[in-house]
Amino acid sequence: MADLKRIPVGPVLVAAIVAVFALTVALADDRNFWVEQVRNGLTTGSLYALIALGYTMVYGVLRMINFAHGEVFMIGAFAGWVVLTEVFGGDDMATALIAPAILVAMLVAALASASAVVVIERFAYRPLRNAPRLAPLISAIGVSIFLQHLFLRLTDGRFKQYPRIFPQGPDESINVGFTEIAYVQVFLVGSSIVLMLALFLFVQRTRTGTSIRAVAEDREVAALMGINANRVIVITFVLGAGLAGIAGVMYGLWLLNIKGTMGFLPGIKAFTAAVLGGIGNIPGAMAGGFLIGLAETVGREEINWITEQFGFGLGLGNEWKDGVAFFVLIGVLLLRPSGIFGEVVGKRA
Amino acid sequence: MPDWTRLIPAPVSEAWSVVATRAERAYGSVPNMARLMLLALLLIGVPFYENPLGGGVIFDDRWLAVFRLVGLYIMLGIGLNIVVGYAGLLDLGYVAFFATGAYLYALLASPASPAIDFPIEDVPWLFWALLPAALFVGALTGVLLGIPVLPLRGDYLAIVTLGFGEIIRLFLINQTNLTGGSQGLYGIRAPPLPDVPVINLTDLKSTALTEWYIFLVIGVFVAAFCAGRLRDSRIGRAWEAIREDEEVASAMGVNTIKYKLLAFAMGASLGSLGGTIFAAFQGSALPDSFDLLVSINVVALVVIGGMGNTTGVVLGAVILIGIPDFLRFREASDLLGLFDPIVPFADTHNWAQDLRDNRFMVFGLLLVVVMVLRPVGLIPSRRRKLEFALAEETAETT
Repeated sequence: MADLKRIPVGPVLVAAIVAVFALTVALADDRNFWVEQVRNGLTTGSLYALIALGYTMVYGVLRMINFAHGEVFMIGAFAGWVVLTEVFGGDDMATALIAPAILVAMLVAALASASAVVVIERFAYRPLRNAPRLAPLISAIGVSIFLQHLFLRLTDGRFKQYPRIFPQGPDESINVGFTEIAYVQVFLVGSSIVLMLALFLFVQRTRTGTSIRAVAEDREVAALMGINANRVIVITFVLGAGLAGIAGVMYGLWLLNIKGTMGFLPGIKAFTAAVLGGIGNIPGAMAGGFLIGLAETVGREEINWITEQFGFGLGLGNEWKDGVAFFVLIGVLLLRPSGIFGEVVGKRA
Repeated sequence: MPDWTRLIPAPVSEAWSVVATRAERAYGSVPNMARLMLLALLLIGVPFYENPLGGGVIFDDRWLAVFRLVGLYIMLGIGLNIVVGYAGLLDLGYVAFFATGAYLYALLASPASPAIDFPIEDVPWLFWALLPAALFVGALTGVLLGIPVLPLRGDYLAIVTLGFGEIIRLFLINQTNLTGGSQGLYGIRAPPLPDVPVINLTDLKSTALTEWYIFLVIGVFVAAFCAGRLRDSRIGRAWEAIREDEEVASAMGVNTIKYKLLAFAMGASLGSLGGTIFAAFQGSALPDSFDLLVSINVVALVVIGGMGNTTGVVLGAVILIGIPDFLRFREASDLLGLFDPIVPFADTHNWAQDLRDNRFMVFGLLLVVVMVLRPVGLIPSRRRKLEFALAEETAETT
């Protein structure tokens, strides 16, 4: 085990995955199928990455898993839905309005999620900062259940439909030579990368970012150096929630159906992504998000394909998609709890 | 930071702490077997209490159905309390063991079961034979799922066990040839519980629910007794040492691997037993009955009641499982109707119905409020309370 920790697992793993995948594409008959899997994997992965940033940053400063983060993401999705359908007219939106509508929806979603998390932090987490370990977790579970059922109640337990702003289909795609990619997927992956870069620069370059890193390093010493730890903690929550809110709008734009309970699974998967990338490690969470997204689609099909070549096809269907993240989570925590990109958590895990 | 406990008027919180301490003292002296037996007898008699004003028994089948569910959850709570309260291992996948027990019974007893093709469902003693089997299989599952998570602690342990719970559910839904898929296994014959002999002497009717209720009361008492003895034994002390500090415990010569696995096994065996009983009285095992909410309910009732304390588990089960069910009753509407003069919108709202419809929201809020006001639970075990007071003192002085 000791030796395992010295290998640069991240690059090695990524290289191995790419190699196996290249081999599959070269040998398998249905190339388009695999390219499609990669497209979908990257698109969901970009959502997981955005959500994972909230988990990883909050864990960094508080050593606490914000169990309600998935619901913060859900609130963003609903806020964006209200803006797009009520303010901008939903499906009948004029073409010229699409770009501003999406921008406003994202902004409002980020604000809504951020204000929600400020309230949650103030009333459900802050009073418990010195309580026994289990208390904040139970409190967070309580918030999560409350928000889920509040939104189920508000929507009568039904799905709400996002307007089809990005028509899906071959005509509306960009041709990139060997395949075609839907606009919405390009938009999702592109904007999530822009957002992640912005966050990374913010944390690395600005004064506030430095104080976030200082609090993550050692809250008490940071406080002694004149940093207002409470303020930094709130800022961290707000940043994570803003990204999750925007991810909520993206989810709606892509998958169209949103619901009060939609946050649970993406939340767990994003948490897995954060652990995979090394919790507390911001670039790690981004990479982890994409890896989980790919593992769910490409990875699952890859396992099916490889086992088929050996004559015992496992045939893990689409319904096993949601289980992949759990297997990855268990595997990572057991083999390498510090995540594949480092950041030592050691006995904290 | 404002102290939210101040929102509660001082006399109320003082009265509460007096009541809690008294109640805890009364039940805390477990060695008093006589008192315990008396309580058991009183509870067993519940289905036969007659209304002095006439009109038959006070608690009819509707009530007994609620009590039965509460009893089942108390049993699950006692099991999980061993893992969470005694050994300090937060397990959010308790439903995995519950499902194990339920499917163990359903696979053998359901006519829809793909596992067997002979009519074993007619064997009358199957249920009784399977109770010890459920304990054993549960313990085995507990050890199997416990081994991989041995190095994990706290939040990580919670999330990974949650993952186990979800994987079990996916497995139940997707392995159609083994578990019947999302249709589940149904049509399980009700197991023949022994008749209650008193009933033949009087003109009281005994229904299946009466028998189930008595069965569960006895089961809960046996489980609570065993759990209490375990807590006070050498094993219990080892768990406590692990809960407080695993490294120190290990340095002091406690075999942490053995005792952690033992805690998982004990907790899991009770969970599995509960599952078998659940499948037997439901008459079916459906994957949908085994979702995350079961795990959360059990953890919540342990934590809200006060970890490490059986009385707390009972209180937690009554609040979280009993009251939401009770709200369906006409009596609940009548009871809440008494407050109509002081409650706004009473003329347009049926508050019992509203509460029932929004019970999950209330449940979520309750978790937050109880944690914020009493992070150690409503009736914490005496030792925990002491520890918490000490921790607060040191936090204040430093």
